[in-house]
Amino acid sequence: MQDYVGVQPVFQRNYNRMLLPAVIAVGIFAVLPLAGMVALSLTDFHLINGWDKEFGLKNFIRLWNDRRFMSSLNVMMLLSVFGVIFQVLLGLLIAVGLEKIVPKWRFMRGIFVVPFVVPAVAVALIWLSLFTPTLSPINAFFDLFGITVPAILTTQYGAVAAIVIADTWASYPFVMLLILAALQGISGDLDEAASIDGATKMQIFFRITLPLLKPALLMVALFRFIETLKHFPLIFIMTNGGPGRTTQATNYYAYIQTFQSSNVSYGAAIAVFLFLFAAVISFYVARANMRISDA
Amino acid sequence: MTIHKKLMQLSAASLAVITGFALTPTKAVAEDVEVLLFSMPFTRALAELEADFEAKTGLTAKIDVIGQDVFENRITLSFTGKTGDLDVVHAPVIQLQRWVKAGWLRPITAETAAMATKDDILAGPLDSFVVNGEQWGLPFLAGTGMMAYRTDLLSEAGFDEPPATWEEMLTVAAAVKEKGTPALAMRVAPGQGFNMFVYPQIMRAYGGKFFADYPTDLTPSMNTPEGLQGLEVYSKLMNDYGPEGIGNFNFGEVTAAMQSGQVAMIIDESGLIAQTLDPEKSQFADKISIAAVPSGPAGRSPAIAVHGLGIPADAPNAEASFKFIEWATSEETLTKIAISAGFADFTRASVADNSDVTERFKSIHPDFLSLRVQMLNDAIGHYRPLIPQWPQIGQAVGENINAAVNGIMSNQEALEAADEEIANILAE
Repeated sequence: MQDYVGVQPVFQRNYNRMLLPAVIAVGIFAVLPLAGMVALSLTDFHLINGWDKEFGLKNFIRLWNDRRFMSSLNVMMLLSVFGVIFQVLLGLLIAVGLEKIVPKWRFMRGIFVVPFVVPAVAVALIWLSLFTPTLSPINAFFDLFGITVPAILTTQYGAVAAIVIADTWASYPFVMLLILAALQGISGDLDEAASIDGATKMQIFFRITLPLLKPALLMVALFRFIETLKHFPLIFIMTNGGPGRTTQATNYYAYIQTFQSSNVSYGAAIAVFLFLFAAVISFYVARANMRISDA
Repeated sequence: MTIHKKLMQLSAASLAVITGFALTPTKAVAEDVEVLLFSMPFTRALAELEADFEAKTGLTAKIDVIGQDVFENRITLSFTGKTGDLDVVHAPVIQLQRWVKAGWLRPITAETAAMATKDDILAGPLDSFVVNGEQWGLPFLAGTGMMAYRTDLLSEAGFDEPPATWEEMLTVAAAVKEKGTPALAMRVAPGQGFNMFVYPQIMRAYGGKFFADYPTDLTPSMNTPEGLQGLEVYSKLMNDYGPEGIGNFNFGEVTAAMQSGQVAMIIDESGLIAQTLDPEKSQFADKISIAAVPSGPAGRSPAIAVHGLGIPADAPNAEASFKFIEWATSEETLTKIAISAGFADFTRASVADNSDVTERFKSIHPDFLSLRVQMLNDAIGHYRPLIPQWPQIGQAVGENINAAVNGIMSNQEALEAADEEIANILAE
């Protein structure tokens, strides 16, 4: 009988059978819908017109000629790249601050985590009201001094920035918590030894702490990147994809094709593309992470 | 029993429960009639009258009211999933052609013909639910475009009367803005029910149109000199004289801006205009008056929206569904909501004749009901084209118009893009 590493002897004999419920659950709730989506993307199903007999890669070929799809990829990358950069930087800054610089403020952790538990719809509504000049207390405050704060939701990059800001606010606690956990795993002896050798706090951070945090940073960045590919509530509520179409990220475009244009199969093809894109990114990041961890 | 056997049984039981939930039909609440509506003053008031329905018919109803944005998705999932989880649905006329073509609704022709009070329903709204000779719903709302304006702010700017034409609007708006208050707010947020509810009022007033000769020739024709002029006026009014952030305004922000005194004029749907005149909801109600939608070189074209109730094709108990529709659109219910919620868009002649209702609206504004009738008479039925592809076309055009107003593309480019995309949608 095969011995499974890390599995208690009492569970060794029925290990495979015990995995079965989980495998079935994953099959039903993850693999089956995914397979259905892939199959749908190869057909030509329209909500109103019904099924077409064609079966093939037509929807995927259409993707490369669709200017709106290409434009949605740009929007998605803008939202994802800037979102991840700001979330990781802010999360790292606060985590290091609480753990290394002012440890007596650790009790503040709970407060910093609050945005993470706010539902996405509420996050969107909060920031929508803050960015709508006639509703915003920020605008009302500056109006007292005769200063007009511009409406950023009505400009192309302003609207993108608004979504990045809202997403950063809601998601930096996730980064902060993971970095805090990673920081607590780094032995204090290293800092002490470096300090005895005359290293400054900045040198300790950049030469010791940061390199040791690399695997955690890479993984948290990957998690956040994949999450940002799925942007929906913030766009739906804050900008409705506008102004024009400048905040229609790929995920949102898939929704438009499916529900507003009734092109279900084309929407599925976009979703399959997103899945493959996320899978490829994950693969390379995981490989890079293994290399860093092994080094 | 060993630990691992217990664990395995527990896991299997959990899995059975999980899959059991997943495979169980979604209708779990034991109400006689499940109703899904999207949020507007009438539907919110109707949801509070569930007990009335039960008292009247002996049947129970659960009325869910959700945001307009999510309604479309929710209803599409229900229709296509054929879950039979809904008995009555909110049916905007603008979606009717699409829903009928897809086979998502059940006709109610015979039931409507048998109604004793059918002739009391306003003919225009009732007929707008006829497609292919069948009746697909009964109307509860006939809304139209209307203007609300601040008498004090216009007076300060030197005008005793509101602008009667869009050209006058440009002059009045400039003068009001000069005095320091944003002059005009209209919906700009992209969407067939958002900016495409208000923008065609200007487009059509200048002679612009969606198609060469609706309904016989559906060649896209938005990019004409008249269409361009209309869009230029809309863009100028919003950008030069609208409140900060107007480029993302929807009906909620427009109404709120008027109710809180942040704008001098708004043009929106009559039911929402009524809310700005209500002292309980509007801080400046005593300074707000109403007027017709401005006209242009090609005349006046107030917006029109008719909403009603329909029965999904897979509704399990059509008889109970129709009883609900009959009750919800009855004289009694409409009158009650007209009085309690200041609901102005009722669809029965008897409600307009009811002395309590007329008194209620006289207290809001003496001319409200007569102006509403005037606007409904001026409106054309195909203000937004009544074709199955309209929701998709309206969304695409709305996005381009929004891009033009927000300076993402020029007015000319927006109209060119709109024509191209309409042609593509019709060719699908």
